[in-house]
Amino acid sequence: MPKLVIDEREIEVPEGTKVIEAAEQLGIMIPRFCYHPALGSVGACRVCAVKFLEGPFKGVQMSCMIDAKDDMVVSTTDEEAVEFRKYVIEWLMLHHPHDCPVCDEGGHCLLQDMTVSGGHGVRRYLGLKRTYRDQYLGPLVQHEMNRCIHCYRCTRFYQEFAGYFDLGVMQIANHTYFGRFKDGILESPFTGNLSDICPTGVYTDKPSRFFGRRWDYQRSPSLCINCSLGCHITASARYREVVRQEARYSEAVNGYFICDRGRHGFHYAKSETRPGKALVDGREVTTEEGIRAAREKLAELMSRIESDGVACLGSARSSLENQAMLKQLCQKMGWQDPSYFVDESLAKKVKTAVTRLEPELTVSLRDLEGSDAIIVVGADPINEAPMLALAMRQAQRKGGKIVVLDPRPISLPCDYTHLPVKLDEINLYLGALIKAAVDPEAITDAEKDVARFYREAPMLEIFVDSLQKKASSLAQELRASQRVVIVCGTQVVRETTVVLAGDCVSLLRAAKKQAGLFYLLPQANAFGASLLTNKEFSFLNTLEGMENGSIKGLILVENDPFYSFHHRQRLDLAIEKLDLLIVLDYLESPAVRKAHVFLPTSTLYETGGIYINQEGRAQAATKTYLGGISIAQISGGNHPPRIYGSEIPGGEARAAFQFLDQIGDGGSDEDETASRQNPLRWLSANLPALAKIPPFGELTEAGMLINSSDEGTGQFSLDWKEEKDKGDMTGDLLEVILTDLTFGTEELSSFSPPLRKLERKPCLFMQVNDAAKMGLSSEDRVRIKLDEGDVEVDVRLEENMAPGVVILPRHRLLEWQKVKRLPKFVRFEEIEKVSD
Amino acid sequence: MIPAELKESLQKHIASIDHPRELVVDVMFAVQDYYGYLNDEAVEEVAELLDMSPVEVEQLATFYTFIYREPVGKYVIHVCDSLVCWMEGHESLLDRLIGKLGINLGETTPDGMFSLLPVCCIGYCDRAPAIMINKKVYGPLTIDTLDDILEKLRAEA
Repeated sequence: MPKLVIDEREIEVPEGTKVIEAAEQLGIMIPRFCYHPALGSVGACRVCAVKFLEGPFKGVQMSCMIDAKDDMVVSTTDEEAVEFRKYVIEWLMLHHPHDCPVCDEGGHCLLQDMTVSGGHGVRRYLGLKRTYRDQYLGPLVQHEMNRCIHCYRCTRFYQEFAGYFDLGVMQIANHTYFGRFKDGILESPFTGNLSDICPTGVYTDKPSRFFGRRWDYQRSPSLCINCSLGCHITASARYREVVRQEARYSEAVNGYFICDRGRHGFHYAKSETRPGKALVDGREVTTEEGIRAAREKLAELMSRIESDGVACLGSARSSLENQAMLKQLCQKMGWQDPSYFVDESLAKKVKTAVTRLEPELTVSLRDLEGSDAIIVVGADPINEAPMLALAMRQAQRKGGKIVVLDPRPISLPCDYTHLPVKLDEINLYLGALIKAAVDPEAITDAEKDVARFYREAPMLEIFVDSLQKKASSLAQELRASQRVVIVCGTQVVRETTVVLAGDCVSLLRAAKKQAGLFYLLPQANAFGASLLTNKEFSFLNTLEGMENGSIKGLILVENDPFYSFHHRQRLDLAIEKLDLLIVLDYLESPAVRKAHVFLPTSTLYETGGIYINQEGRAQAATKTYLGGISIAQISGGNHPPRIYGSEIPGGEARAAFQFLDQIGDGGSDEDETASRQNPLRWLSANLPALAKIPPFGELTEAGMLINSSDEGTGQFSLDWKEEKDKGDMTGDLLEVILTDLTFGTEELSSFSPPLRKLERKPCLFMQVNDAAKMGLSSEDRVRIKLDEGDVEVDVRLEENMAPGVVILPRHRLLEWQKVKRLPKFVRFEEIEKVSD
Repeated sequence: MIPAELKESLQKHIASIDHPRELVVDVMFAVQDYYGYLNDEAVEEVAELLDMSPVEVEQLATFYTFIYREPVGKYVIHVCDSLVCWMEGHESLLDRLIGKLGINLGETTPDGMFSLLPVCCIGYCDRAPAIMINKKVYGPLTIDTLDDILEKLRAEA
């Protein structure tokens, strides 16, 4: 490892480290514009010049372009280098409009910093400045080209790093222009990162424009809870509302970037529809009255029914503290354990995932970038967890092979091979692919069950003719790869697929490959919810109990089954039979409106919380602000009302764990901090996997990996014969796959006004040949017959999807909750064209 | 829209190449020859032919001197302003052209006859000062020979 001296301090760095990076490790921040750790070096801006005094290079050189070598002596403060940088800055500032007072970047602008630190203070250039026409780039990013210093970070991120090609660099020399071919909404779901990486104010966050300077904001390290990846973000709040979120660097999870859903998904916290006051029978009451009413009504109910007549539904979007407190409450009150998932099958799949994630199999999102083959099984990265797609692209850029086994029309910003197969065929095809990828020699000494699994797995011949060639060339490439990761979704796949994904990884490891396992889970804290889920108590049992009258009371904690349950009518009827419905939430929902008692809970931004992401990494988000109704809402744009008091206006919301604590023991403990330690202590005492969970605030930046794996459960139990029979059973039916889109289906982000502008009109995806059979073409509108009524929707034809399926997004604008049982199949004639 | 015939011949050419993107400049020239310049529609047509995004084509179209993204005159005069031509008197050639045509660099005469553009080196240093008109090189030039060329072109038009 080379050892060099920078500014008279010695440092040893790994081979290949650039001098600018070595300096950073010493705490010396050499000026930079074009250099970015995620994008690498191009040596374009010339502002990182330093002087090499001794070693293989001499004189003023760009520190981002030169690898650290032995015997180098570098000075960043040498007069010649300082003067060089001063001229570079002056020249980069030549055309800059100096509009810092009205620029949103002002205050956290790299160009400001570099100008000041470079020593350029007085403008000498008196000529005309070149100016540009700005473009409309959509609702998320504001364009202001005059501020550009031509560092190329934006186009390098947008095209090379993220794989989208509708923003680029045009013209030459002084006219160089960064933008789109024509005005229009940027196509990438990662556009917000442009605002983060632009070193000046060419791209700024549009929804939070003119709201404040960075130092005006209450800023805190937080987490994104819009999917299960758990990306790190910095949340900024001002005037009692969250206004902006930025990517926060994370070594293990998201690196430097986040997706647009995560960045702009926070608006639910300040939504005008957010219920902020406790309600008893629809009447606004004080929080204390609400808690008392909940206690009294529960006591009254329990005095006349059995203790298992009260059921609780927690949620996979709640913090671990809330989830644990709910279970604690149930045990204390003698109720049955809570369920956390509305969809029973999903609960099972998540449970499987959690039990299969052994520490040595687990890969982080950043680890994934280093794999040389990724097999995606029943997951749609861009729509379900966009940052996964970005990580996969990095793997592919390094030469990794990407294979996708999914019936849906998958689109990824990288090269990939899509095998569009039905959900019932995924297991067979995955088995065949993995079998072919394993060298028989490599598993001669494998254990008995592994050997049997390998032996019985299907041969590549099971692939239909049209996929045969693709599959065999893939198998060869997979055989040559060493670091294989299987990415398995849990939303649409069959329960057995989640098991099989784990088995395949075990087989690959038995064949001496460094195989890894990466599950996608349905929500931010599904992992935590699953740890607390008892197999016996599912929401379906609760529903049956409500229907047959054995369950009379229901407590919903931050879960709106009306949003996610597939059979609305059944839910409606069951809820109506209840004597008592208590709802705790921060989202407006039908459940809130139906509640006998409603208690307003605080969001992640007001309380913070621990969330366990899909790889089992427990991470903490800290509190951003104290809560309350935003000043904008209270004043309607005018001066805030002149009312004096010590309370925060509209600050009635409390953490769900606090409410649950108070419901349980009479409301003695009003202190949030004290109340929070309660469920955490309970977790470490009662849940072996979380025995070592530290008190809140002591979780490190990297979080803590939770191991809840259980080797004994269902490994290598798949019945291949049964799998082979499945394919023929559906015959002439079409499976209706309910699915997610990047924007418009995820519950929290669906409250975001800027993201609503990006939602595509919901449509039914059909395979072209299926549509042809029915005489449907692309512009048609159809009525699809579900169990409890019809859904009318436009058709979109796709080539790259499996025949025999139709894809219906769980879009907030579609009433799709009309399905009695999943999986749902329809006959061809149950989809009919609507004549206009 | 470019005529079907041209489109087919381009498609055929593209299909015969291992790395179709390498053809982008040739395709831009072919389409430009049809329209007279590369208009927005043409950029999108080129992009579609080569399975690129419009901005990827635009990146190249706006980089290269001989791709015209705006309408140009019947004769496009590129005046070389590179080192050798400059030493041999390019500035007096340029002044003469500006005076005679009544337009500045980057402009087209109102009658649509001439456009005047700079070019940095066309590789005819041995014939400096040189200019290029519609892909034909003239040089070495003097003010008089330059006038003759303009007269001749005007007469031929």
